Amino acid sequence: MKKTFLLFAVVVLAVAGAMTSCSGSSALEDAVRSALVQKDTTQARFDSICSIIKGNPREYSAYMTQDGEINIDELGKLIESIGNGLRPPMHWNIAAYGLNNMSLTIYFERSGSMVPYDAPSGRGQLKKAVNDLINYFPYRDNVKINIVNDGIYPYSGTIDSFLQDRNIYASTRGVGNASFTDFGKIFGDVLQANNSRNISVIITDMIYSPADTRDVSADKIFNEENSLATNTFKRNNGKSMAIYQLTGDYNGQYYPYNNQPFQYNGTRPFYIVIVADSKVMDAIATNKDFAQFFNIKDALNSYRFNQGGSEVEWNVLPDWKDNAGRFRIDHGNTAQLNNVEGDRATGTLCFTVAANLDGLGKTDEVLCNPGSYSVTSMSQFAIKVTRITPDMINGNNKAYLEGKTHLITITGDFKGSRDEVKIMLRNDFPQWIAQSTCTDDTSPSLPGFGTTTFGLQHFLRGIYDAFNTGGANYFTIDLTLNR
Amino acid sequence: MKHSIFLAIGIAITIAFYALSYSTGANVFEMLYFNQGFNDQLFNLQMYPVMAAIIALMAWGGAAVYYYVINSVKFDRWYHWASVLAVCTLLAPIACYAYIDNKFAHAGLLYIDESIHFVTQILFIEALLFIVASFSIRWWSSNCRHTPFPQ
Repeated sequence: MKKTFLLFAVVVLAVAGAMTSCSGSSALEDAVRSALVQKDTTQARFDSICSIIKGNPREYSAYMTQDGEINIDELGKLIESIGNGLRPPMHWNIAAYGLNNMSLTIYFERSGSMVPYDAPSGRGQLKKAVNDLINYFPYRDNVKINIVNDGIYPYSGTIDSFLQDRNIYASTRGVGNASFTDFGKIFGDVLQANNSRNISVIITDMIYSPADTRDVSADKIFNEENSLATNTFKRNNGKSMAIYQLTGDYNGQYYPYNNQPFQYNGTRPFYIVIVADSKVMDAIATNKDFAQFFNIKDALNSYRFNQGGSEVEWNVLPDWKDNAGRFRIDHGNTAQLNNVEGDRATGTLCFTVAANLDGLGKTDEVLCNPGSYSVTSMSQFAIKVTRITPDMINGNNKAYLEGKTHLITITGDFKGSRDEVKIMLRNDFPQWIAQSTCTDDTSPSLPGFGTTTFGLQHFLRGIYDAFNTGGANYFTIDLTLNR
Repeated sequence: MKHSIFLAIGIAITIAFYALSYSTGANVFEMLYFNQGFNDQLFNLQMYPVMAAIIALMAWGGAAVYYYVINSVKFDRWYHWASVLAVCTLLAPIACYAYIDNKFAHAGLLYIDESIHFVTQILFIEALLFIVASFSIRWWSSNCRHTPFPQ
């Protein structure tokens, strides 16, 4: 009897030991998996994962830097590998958490044409926009302000005095030479000074006004600024730039390109330009802490340059009300659908992809417009894009929909035994820039004076060309369909 | 020696079954029943290995109870063995269903029909593994080693 029990104990121990060896995941891996499965990718959850690492530095030394901080790159790789093993594969961009204590440098343009934006009689939209940027920046202690025109000059006051200043142009009178704005120097210096722990913001009217433009043709100025922009930004390919167009009350002297100023009272567009490393820009675009900072209130239009490499998180929905026909998502490759068949009655195949497109910083006007996309497939599939609303999410589809913002529904008659579907959101040069551009600003009575900016398109086109190295798509979804 | 080989094969089969419950491409549970949304949740919540452990422990535990605890000449007929098999075969799906229900409730998921369909397959797996366990360990039972089939 004793021998029998011994035998049985050995068997149980052998089986249990073998089973345990199969499931040897660490507390860190369990925590990461749990966060991904529960879609709890918040700062609090990230902090709790960091505390697991810091609580056992010997075991998790691979995830710590030499100075005892979290190694974001290594932790990111672990998260990526665990996320890729889930169904559907899940992603968590933690780069932004590594940007704790990021700094913000504001470059506040103080050219002659900027002063009337903060006239006491106006509503002060420009100053409010700058104040919002400072207030919504998560690390307010790290904010620095510079005044720019012919050069870059540090603001002499404090952040609080800047926020409370009711007439910022009066209090910064005499700083630099307000008669011209040297874009080459400003953007060049900003790009140089910007590093991986810094976000730079330029508040500007985007009017290129070099010194002494009397008797110079507008076209010559446009060509000059276009080349200048391309040259400046081509040397900084790792950077990304987001531009936001806002409108503000304007009451004062306006300085046109022919140097014959006139009085103007009305509204004028102004611009907020955010410059950062591409990776930093990707991270802040998806980080909730930066949401109010990055999604600028009251912006009429926006565009982000150098966004070609953005990775969009997406997955096919296995069950969805619009689905027609049959398919099975391949477990090894979620971009592959197997056993694909059209609906028995109609022959139509319809399936839906959920994607997180918010990080692209585009409006629904662009994202939900099928015309913004290029779709290629042998079966001539058509797409429809809709925003995900909270009422669409339930417990069962939560894993597929949570964290996603849009549904891309693909419909068509599946032909042949195999098809490759490619869905691309084209990164076209935005139309609003052309519509906001004027080539003559010599009179306030010219049509569109209050809504357009002199030479805007030429400068921005120069930046677009500098960054655009072909394959101008924001993202591409590649799907393989096998019958 | 021959009996030890049976034991080794039984252990190998059980470990293989457990290892296959981890697999994403050829998962033993998904070979018999598959509903993408439901099975993806079981996979993500790491429930397959736990259910595999429940099934394996019940099979080996049930067989052990029969051969080494009951282990009586009064209960050495094939239907006594079959009764223990039936109990294990019924209990395993019930335990797995309770486990799925509990885990899904915590995760805010609702897959009642799919869960019922899924656990019916566990009946067959449990029965199979009980037979494997029986043939692995019965040889050393003092009174029931000839059950269900005489040597």
